[in-house]
Amino acid sequence: MVELIINGSRREVEAATVVDVVRELGLAGRPVVAEVDGAVLTEEQWASTEVRTGMNIELVHFVGGG
Amino acid sequence: MSEANRNSEKQTDTNRNMSSKADWPNETYAGTARDTWRIGNLEMTSRFFLGTGLFPNPFVQTEAIRASGAEVLTFAIRRVDLESAEDDSILQHLEPGAFQFLPNTSGSRTAEEAVRIARLARASGLSDWIKVEISADERTLLPDPIETLRATEILVKEGFTVLPYISDDPVICRKLEEAGAAAIMPGGAPIGTGLGILNPYNIGLIAEEASVPVIVDAGLGTASDAALAMELGASAILMNTPVAKAQDPVGMALAMRLAIEGGRLAHLSGRMPKKRYASASSGLQSLIVE
Repeated sequence: MVELIINGSRREVEAATVVDVVRELGLAGRPVVAEVDGAVLTEEQWASTEVRTGMNIELVHFVGGG
Repeated sequence: MSEANRNSEKQTDTNRNMSSKADWPNETYAGTARDTWRIGNLEMTSRFFLGTGLFPNPFVQTEAIRASGAEVLTFAIRRVDLESAEDDSILQHLEPGAFQFLPNTSGSRTAEEAVRIARLARASGLSDWIKVEISADERTLLPDPIETLRATEILVKEGFTVLPYISDDPVICRKLEEAGAAAIMPGGAPIGTGLGILNPYNIGLIAEEASVPVIVDAGLGTASDAALAMELGASAILMNTPVAKAQDPVGMALAMRLAIEGGRLAHLSGRMPKKRYASASSGLQSLIVE
């Protein structure tokens, strides 16, 4: 288990990489963008980006707006 | 008549108007037949950018988008709600590839925050256009001109197609253009107020001086506001609340589209000069009264 800060909240996950985090949160296949410790990732980078305790992950998407 | 009947009648009216689009003078009048415009590599016919917030439901939003004829849709970037299992992505309701997406940096207060949101938006792979929107305070949501200029400079260097939302000040608009903005988007009035164009002189001057498209963004309330913006020389309109918060958003989307087309055609056609006193249409020669 690793403890991550995801979208501002502490959360324990089994995940080893960002792609695992996205899958574990039930977001696989959804148009989500990930940022890890301030660096924006392309989706291709998810599988090679390992997660460690204390990492700060933001998962964002498009919402309605002007 | 019941509320439901009234609504269905309204819906029919809207459909009739839309299907009569082929009879619209625009289709046969040569003056606007090839009146396209361009941002970056995208050539457009529609001069209506539509926001996607505040609609009562996805069905009404989809119909309003269709009625508007918009080719460009705006979005915001927010955290995914991890507590909600359902797919709340707005994109699931839109036909893939049918629109140019214009994400905004709303919620940012500094250039750095706006740049961060812009990079997140581009990493979606959906668009490299970005509407820079940096609010100085929550009460007015007025754009911070200094931070907007800084963010524009950074994002242009990073290869974004940058469309800054900015106050209706001709000088800051010129500086944004010099910084490489692909279009300038002055507000008519504060976001969501529906007050219309508070300073037509400034909007007219900005449109006259700019060599990139000027898109009047924010503060408009109804169709006459959109027509006025186009008459003043704007290339296009960006709006959200006036459509989404109308009693009939689909009808209002069509009303705005027609007003934009009418205002554009009036601008191209050249209005008559204003006069202080009357001037008879038939002259005073050969009067039958002595």
